[in-house]
Amino acid sequence: MHSLHSRLLLAASLVLAGFLGATGLALDKAFRVSAEAAMQDRLQSHVYALLAAADEDIDGRMIPADELPEPRFSKPDSGLYAVISNHNGEPQWRSSSLTGRDLGLEEQQKPGERRFSRLARSGMQLYAFAFGVAWEDYAGMETLYTFTVAEDTSVFQAEIDSFRSTLWRWLGGMALVLLLAQGFILRWGLRPLRTVTNDLQQIEQGRSDRLDGHYPKELTGLTSSLNSLIEHSKAVQVRYRNSLDDLAHSLKTPLAILQSSEPDGSNDPGDSHELVREQVERMDEIISHQLQRAAVSGRTTLAKPVSVGKVVERLVRSLDKVYREKQVTVDLELDPSVTFTGDEADLTEILGNLLENAYKYCNRAVRASVSTNQHAEGVEIDIEDDGPGIAAEQVDTLLQRGKRMDESIPGQGLGLSMANEIITVYGGHLVFADSPLGGTLLQVRFND
Amino acid sequence: MHILVVEDETRLREQLRDRLRDRGYVVDVAADGKEGLYYGEEYPLDMAIIDIGLPKLSGIELIRRLRSHNKHFPILILTARGNWQDKVEGLESGADDYLVKPFRFEELEARLNALLRRASGWSKPVLDCGPISLDTGKQRITVSGNAVELTAFEYRVLEYLMLHAGEVISKSELTDNLYDQDYDRDSNVLEVFIGRLRRKLDPDNTISPIETLRGRGYRFRLEANAG
Repeated sequence: MHSLHSRLLLAASLVLAGFLGATGLALDKAFRVSAEAAMQDRLQSHVYALLAAADEDIDGRMIPADELPEPRFSKPDSGLYAVISNHNGEPQWRSSSLTGRDLGLEEQQKPGERRFSRLARSGMQLYAFAFGVAWEDYAGMETLYTFTVAEDTSVFQAEIDSFRSTLWRWLGGMALVLLLAQGFILRWGLRPLRTVTNDLQQIEQGRSDRLDGHYPKELTGLTSSLNSLIEHSKAVQVRYRNSLDDLAHSLKTPLAILQSSEPDGSNDPGDSHELVREQVERMDEIISHQLQRAAVSGRTTLAKPVSVGKVVERLVRSLDKVYREKQVTVDLELDPSVTFTGDEADLTEILGNLLENAYKYCNRAVRASVSTNQHAEGVEIDIEDDGPGIAAEQVDTLLQRGKRMDESIPGQGLGLSMANEIITVYGGHLVFADSPLGGTLLQVRFND
Repeated sequence: MHILVVEDETRLREQLRDRLRDRGYVVDVAADGKEGLYYGEEYPLDMAIIDIGLPKLSGIELIRRLRSHNKHFPILILTARGNWQDKVEGLESGADDYLVKPFRFEELEARLNALLRRASGWSKPVLDCGPISLDTGKQRITVSGNAVELTAFEYRVLEYLMLHAGEVISKSELTDNLYDQDYDRDSNVLEVFIGRLRRKLDPDNTISPIETLRGRGYRFRLEANAG
């Protein structure tokens, strides 16, 4: 059951079958009940007709008429039978249709009472209606009789069967038509999904860049997420490629220096050792910088929001440990509701670099605040210290560090330029200002 | 000072062991997390250097277990990945400081000194007791402002005594912290070293910084200067 189409079709068919089946059964039952009621009416009217046709002998006792109201009573094996029995249950009269048969139809009913029943007699199914009467003769003597009229069910059964076959034919036909309709509806309703699948295939095969079609509004959330995922993975790919390029290029300079300084005996061994160490450090710096740059995952629509305050708290706890000697006083003002939509590792990297910078250069005090702007959108992070501060003309050099790694000299400030690069990837910016504490105020702004 | 190095890279492990021994430390080495845990639990350590990416038991897990077994000696983690998430995770597991590979040995030593000092309750890198001043960063000793030349081994003896200034240090405790396990404890080498130290620090016998408590051990008699 891996196809939506077959799932829906199966479910709909089951519901349809259940519904039509139940309808059929209900109709069948209703028809049967009303047919039985009609049968009872008919048998009852036969009894009344017999009663009306009955005559009396000279003693005033009842005798049935010679001319019976219903010719079927007179025809043998007609399927319609009548018996009149006396108060002992002994047959008093039998219709001619019962000639040569004894169906044991005699019954005893009190005057005015009636009974309708279904009987099985010598292989025949019968409906029988018995009605008790009191016959008063001239002397005022009452004689009790029971009139019983029975009819073979074959006619009745034939009626039911014909109704049934009509009913089920119709229901079956309807089911077929409804199933076909359903199939068409599903096909039509699920078509946009097939379109998206096809469009995705186009992207996989490189024939298209994004999902561009017109999709129903239930799918636009999915397609726009897919689009941003695709864009994101492309951006990451580009970043990887660039980092690799940069890595290869920037490693070549120190390698060239090392290669051209192969000891030829003329150099002082101490000098060349110093040179190797310098270049190794430079290469290490290049590698870690480029790797971190490539590891930035950047903003994705599917990223879950990260609490900025929590990240700051974790980092401060860690930095407090590392810089315990310095006994830095940290003042935190964190709005717990502020979240960052992106990768937690990226945010940790940004804030870790900025906070470490503050811890490193402060005298005693560091302040960090996390808030949102007046419109309660976007993230504002301020990190400041009471250190010597950064001169305005140094800012650019600091932030450019790492971009042209092959030209830079090992030293400080790599963290800041790294943080700035990640911030840029997320479409935010890093502003340097003077802190009221006396040192640097670093302001990070993300428009969310 | 007894240091445990847990590092799976054979070359680096041996390098660290040799260089730390040259500096007068007693060094045990372990190549994986499980072995590290064994040493950490069974030996009296002053310090551990633990690589994050270890086989059998990760460095983070090793630190967590050591800390949960009430081992409070300082731990320095070595990590090849310098990202903050890793650093924070390492520090949260119970480590006290981190060092990103590759590093210079001088940097490692500076961190070790800072951690050891901190663990003994000294907040400054320079230990000042009366006229004697020991700079753990530069590993230099001055007495009343005059530099005193000590061998690496003599330096370790003095550093250990000064870090525990005022406390009685038994001979066996001092030996444990200065020698490997297989050292012959009956020899009187330690007494010879203490004697040499006394002569170097106090040639005129005026301050007598190191007391001998018969049958109990030694005590650095001078108290830490205020401030």
